[in-house]
Amino acid sequence: MIVGEQKPISEIKEIIAPYKKILILGCGTCVKTCFAGGEDEVAVLASALRLAFKKDGKEIEIEEFTIERQCEDEFIQESAPAISRNDGVLSLACGAGVQALARRFAKSPVLPGVNTTFIGVLEKQGVFTEECSGCGNCRLDIFGGICPVTRCAKKLLNGPCGGSQNGQCEVDPETDCAWQMIIERLGILGQMDNLRIYVPPKNWQTSLSGGPRKLVREDHMI
Amino acid sequence: MNDNFTPKITLFHCINTVSEIGGFSLTGRDNFELQTVKLPCSSMVKDVFLLRAFEAGSDAVIVLVCPEGQCRYVEGNIRAKKRVAWVRNLLDEIGLGGRRLSLSNISAGDNVAASQIIQNVLKDLADLGPNPAV
Repeated sequence: MIVGEQKPISEIKEIIAPYKKILILGCGTCVKTCFAGGEDEVAVLASALRLAFKKDGKEIEIEEFTIERQCEDEFIQESAPAISRNDGVLSLACGAGVQALARRFAKSPVLPGVNTTFIGVLEKQGVFTEECSGCGNCRLDIFGGICPVTRCAKKLLNGPCGGSQNGQCEVDPETDCAWQMIIERLGILGQMDNLRIYVPPKNWQTSLSGGPRKLVREDHMI
Repeated sequence: MNDNFTPKITLFHCINTVSEIGGFSLTGRDNFELQTVKLPCSSMVKDVFLLRAFEAGSDAVIVLVCPEGQCRYVEGNIRAKKRVAWVRNLLDEIGLGGRRLSLSNISAGDNVAASQIIQNVLKDLADLGPNPAV
């Protein structure tokens, strides 16, 4: 899932200050799961902003609405009436959702309310960790299901740097050493021979470093 | 406290804490308005309810929960505590003041303690004044 964090309220106040009528539009998928932009978060933010603006003696009307996903037109179109009623939209979706809205509603200012951070998982209740960088060339088959591109601070592909202490990374002691985890996992899987596989320097063309990517599936196009 | 200021307090309480609202006895100053919201468990107190109480004109919000370790739903009071802490920070950020929101642990049926808590909040409101967002 995509993980994001709601922007600080002071920043959001500044972003929406020029507008008299704002729609806060939530998204019911990834950002709901990480408590950044679902229906509940929309309600809390709207209430907090109304209180904040009233306290400052400023007038603002805030409408609340949430759709299933802001990255698909099928759902985005449900928000059309609400968007047309307001001067601007504060989207609590990830960056993809904000841009999808902006593309569909070109005449309405679409403002970001969330900082999109990473592709990750819910490691345990309340804790989300980054797992995938979207490098475009997945070799988790040889790394025992643990990604050194994302989880190794040095992005090493052929073994540990030797600087870890007690299983923690020398760059950041709060971070588990990815290679320690890879080796432990390969041991469990009986795949220690994978460590003998030479992984050449990564070709980053398939990642964002190679420019924005596009997937075209002609078999799904009419 | 300004004599023209009639504090409005919203009190969210778990039904296992205080059951008889009429049982509060507050000596001294009693010209305030108290609205109570019963909850089956204090964990049902959502962030937005607390904020909407302030939007509706409350000057202070109190949340009464069961003592730690005595929640009949095990951790409901812990969840309520964390949510109240979150909303207090939010109130500080928007300039309303987190002090307007408080949470207290109270044993079942201890109306004396509940009355004391309300008295303490009234004293705080003498300092804080009315809700600036009303």
